[in-house]
Amino acid sequence: MVRLSVAVDLALFVTLLVLVAIAAGLVGSLTGLGGGVVVIPLLLILFGTSVPVAIGTGFVTILATSSATGAAYVRDRLSDLRIGMFLEIATVPGALIGATVTVFLTHANLQSALLIALGVVFLAIIPGTLSRRHIDIPPTLPPDSRSRRLGLAGEYHDEKLDRDVPYVAAQTSPALGVMFGAGVVSGMFGIGAGVFKVLALERFLNLPMKVSTATSNFMIGVTAAAGAGVMLAAGYVNPVVAAPVAIGTAFGAYLGSRVLPGLANPTVRLLFLPVIAALAIEVILRGLGLQ
Amino acid sequence: MSTPAPTSTPSTVPPLPPDAYVRMALVLRVGLGLSLALLAGGLVAYVVAHPDASSSSILAQTPILSYLSFAGLGSGLASGSIEAYLTLGLVVLVATPILRVFSGFYYFRRAGERSMTAITFAVFVLLLVGVLAIGPYVR
Repeated sequence: MVRLSVAVDLALFVTLLVLVAIAAGLVGSLTGLGGGVVVIPLLLILFGTSVPVAIGTGFVTILATSSATGAAYVRDRLSDLRIGMFLEIATVPGALIGATVTVFLTHANLQSALLIALGVVFLAIIPGTLSRRHIDIPPTLPPDSRSRRLGLAGEYHDEKLDRDVPYVAAQTSPALGVMFGAGVVSGMFGIGAGVFKVLALERFLNLPMKVSTATSNFMIGVTAAAGAGVMLAAGYVNPVVAAPVAIGTAFGAYLGSRVLPGLANPTVRLLFLPVIAALAIEVILRGLGLQ
Repeated sequence: MSTPAPTSTPSTVPPLPPDAYVRMALVLRVGLGLSLALLAGGLVAYVVAHPDASSSSILAQTPILSYLSFAGLGSGLASGSIEAYLTLGLVVLVATPILRVFSGFYYFRRAGERSMTAITFAVFVLLLVGVLAIGPYVR
């Protein structure tokens, strides 16, 4: 893998970061994996950043892209604010714990272990992306008592079906457990962990696919804010790296979601996923000291 | 005989008012716009002000450590420090979702929903604890 092996002028460094981030945002958007999964390995492999700085930059990337796309979902009422905020009671503590573990592993000079775990998590995300259920309207399940008490239900207008679709959340306890795990993964590695969040929303809460995707996006920003808050306050966010990456990824994600939506199909996903798998393997090899 | 599953919002819990969605979307747009403007402006100014800097010098430092406190950030902004404005851009970016949680707390409290008010307040406090307590503690 090519690496920026010589020190380059600052303007060129920033320009390269913006260009790589645009590509990462575009690929992240088209594959549905998000920008962080592409940006973090590229920062480590191409630019030689330290592991915590790459993870801190990953958080900034998530915050920029989730705020950009999340605003549209919230405005169109596809995000279920009530369900999203309820589940944040699990993802936020998870992210705080995850980010704290990352800082402690860094202090303990265990960055190699962090690299290996990072690569393994990236590899684990890929099958989840491929096997997403994508059933538009799931069969109705009875809500549990917590769902009834908190009113975890709603409806949205499905333009394709041209009707309002009601839904009600079921099985909140296992969903909270998965969300806590998603928060830990997000906090440790600076990624959105949207695959795990959508899994909890679709398979346990039994929400329609569109509501699950939009609500996951809504939640990703808050989970990332928990991890980013720890990493920023701990001094692991380098603004001269994070700023061009945030701007580039947000632009790339915009391109992917608005300008090139027709490209976001399973074929494109299959095309890019091997690239992401190769990046993950490269990260693991670096962690093992084999690069 | 089994009871049919409800398919809509229970009548005892009213939906959030429409303006909650509009204002939360506005919080996201304004927060993102402000932070990206601060980061972009700060980045251009930083590149112009450091013509001799290289990628290796940037990767070897974290130029915002002096500004990760209220007093440090305030004095940095007052003195026109570029790094302080970059820090502010990052702080606004992190604060945007936190403000969104606070707006959720406000709307649930206004609707008189005690459980959701307590949940959103707990999430808000946890987020503040991360930024103000855990991060500085583990630095």
